[in-house]
Amino acid sequence: MTPLERAEARFGWKLVAPTIVILGLLILYPLMYNVYLSFFDVQLNGSKTFVGLENYIKLLSNADYYSAIATTSLYLLGTVVGTTLLGLAMALLLRDPFMGRGLVNAAIMLPYVAPVISVVFGWQFLFDPISGVVNYLLVDLLGLWSERSNLIGDPDSALWVVVLFDIWKHAPIAYLLILSKLVSISRDQYEAAAIDGYGPVGRFFHVTLPELYFVLATVVLLRLIWNLNRFEDVYLLAPNVETLPIFTYYQAFTGVIDQGLAAATSVIQLGVLSIFIWFYIKKIMKW
Amino acid sequence: MAAIKLKNIVKSFGDTAVVKGIDLSIEDGEFVVLVGPSGCGKSTTLRMIAGLEQATSGDIVIGDRVVNDIEPQHRNIAMVFQNYALYPHKSVKENIIFALRRLKVENDDIERRLTEVSEMLQLEELLERKPADLSGGQRQRVAMGRAIIREADLFLFDEPLSNLDSKLRSHMRTEIGKIHNKFGRTSVYVTHDQVEAMTLADKVVVLHDGYIAQAGTPMEVYLNPANVFVAQFIGSPSMNIIEGRLFNDHLQIGNYRLPRKQLSNVALQGVINEQGLPVKVGIRPDFFNDSRLFPETDGTFNFNQLQIDLIEPMGFDKEILFNLAGGAVKARLDLRSDFQRGDYVDLIVELSRVLLFDNETDLRL
Ligand SMILES: Nc1ncnc2c1ncn2[C@@H]1O[C@H](COP(=O)(O)OP(=O)(O)OP(=O)(O)O)[C@@H](O)[C@H]1O
Ligand SMILES: [Mg+2]
Repeated sequence: MTPLERAEARFGWKLVAPTIVILGLLILYPLMYNVYLSFFDVQLNGSKTFVGLENYIKLLSNADYYSAIATTSLYLLGTVVGTTLLGLAMALLLRDPFMGRGLVNAAIMLPYVAPVISVVFGWQFLFDPISGVVNYLLVDLLGLWSERSNLIGDPDSALWVVVLFDIWKHAPIAYLLILSKLVSISRDQYEAAAIDGYGPVGRFFHVTLPELYFVLATVVLLRLIWNLNRFEDVYLLAPNVETLPIFTYYQAFTGVIDQGLAAATSVIQLGVLSIFIWFYIKKIMKW
Repeated sequence: MAAIKLKNIVKSFGDTAVVKGIDLSIEDGEFVVLVGPSGCGKSTTLRMIAGLEQATSGDIVIGDRVVNDIEPQHRNIAMVFQNYALYPHKSVKENIIFALRRLKVENDDIERRLTEVSEMLQLEELLERKPADLSGGQRQRVAMGRAIIREADLFLFDEPLSNLDSKLRSHMRTEIGKIHNKFGRTSVYVTHDQVEAMTLADKVVVLHDGYIAQAGTPMEVYLNPANVFVAQFIGSPSMNIIEGRLFNDHLQIGNYRLPRKQLSNVALQGVINEQGLPVKVGIRPDFFNDSRLFPETDGTFNFNQLQIDLIEPMGFDKEILFNLAGGAVKARLDLRSDFQRGDYVDLIVELSRVLLFDNETDLRL
């Protein structure tokens, strides 16, 4: 480092120091406390007994835990792939300026900015077995199934409703991120590729995709992190879909309340997530 | 390979007409050089031939197809872009062979051609680099390689050597000439470099403000420019334009009277009244000769006793400036003529090299 760079780095540290302190108190403290709790049997009255790894052993021998992991994996796969592809498709379609693009953009962003509680009720209404429009469309009009069903009531189908909901709600942010990169790709490369004999498909794979690589990787990463911890959307729309956060919540705050066990769940989740993100950032994002 | 015809091509961006009606025939295998001042529409013309820009009106014919509605990827054209337009994510090697990959050329063949091209362009050491890690001149050579590795019907070059040092440039110029002689591919080449234009071209097309000012062989546009613009644009240093007055039997420049009958190339036949006809007289700096070294004959004229205002030595050549008929005029002499500033010289010009232009229209008389 040159002296100038060193001075700049020092100045930078001074600037971020307050933030680090605040973040440390707000995030690091609960985090450590969570780790601490995971080694105790916690009673409702607040008394704790040290139990060592018992919480972890209990957790890892619980079949429901594995089913929550499976549900979460499906949820992640569906939502990450779904939002990314939908966002990409919309961005590609709306890339060139046209009359009323502002309006279309606003409409696209709507699900993302609308309060989750109101749209959840809307969705529940849509999927209502008696009066919902979804059953009407799929069963009565298209005849895909023989009888109307409660798609949200059944945990198996509810998972896909929740996935669909998340795609609908979060594709706009993927769209926005992808579009902002897309419009900045210079025309030169497309022209050169056309001269080199590549049609629209070849140009997409050889010019657009490489240019979008990092933004797509970022979208995927963000979606993974958000959705691994996603609670409110799932819980509000279909509380019977037990992804990990919901499973943890049930452990910690309902029935036989077991905060130690819940803490252990979070710790494992955090560990896995950290390792995963570290790999992802090193290998995929090449930082 | 293919012949090209541009039929009354017009290109406007919004309300601004940039190309204002170009008619041009390029024969199969011909090497055409487009020259003209910055912003005159050279790149735009090239891009229309490539299909990257749609002509506002007019037809473009390549071979026997009207290509107006044919996408660039179906025109089988290779092109060097003025701004290189390399693929930033691909290595130099992948940039160069990208088109061959599309054509599913055999790997052996690709390697062979790549070796050939990278040797010629002195890119062997750089094949694994990304464009961001190259200098401007290196990038330009990659862009060049990407074009010449192909076997296209038509080659378009947009100032392909502009960023190279003079040594590399003249090397590349020779190479381009060799390639053209060997394969005889139809080429359209844009340049600001006089030497490239003169040495490479079968035909030089001088563009001016969206029109073709003149098209012809390099010697035609050099010796027989159709108007003042071409006369001054082609050749370096640029042609002197001097005020003169044409009479029935002589041409008056300042105090000098040049006999009219030896002024060849003057098509004007009409009888001129007694005041004479004001004209622009064009004499290239290269066509002045030192009287001590050049014999005076019937066909020459001696501008005697010109006082030198300035001498600009350039190695072998030197440019001297003097005043003629109220304007600064430049002559190019060589080492053998030894003068000081303020000296008087006699300069001899072959009368057939003296060109006359209409004072109003700037067209040749
Ligand atoms: N996309 C565009 N929109 C508007 N005007 C344009 C566009 N492209 C080119 N022009 C204008 O057209 C004119 C001709 O441009 P062109 O690039 O053909 O010039 P050129 O002869 O290649 O110049 P140079 O020697 O500087 O490369 C310029 O005045 C330029 O500003
Ligand atoms: Mg140009």
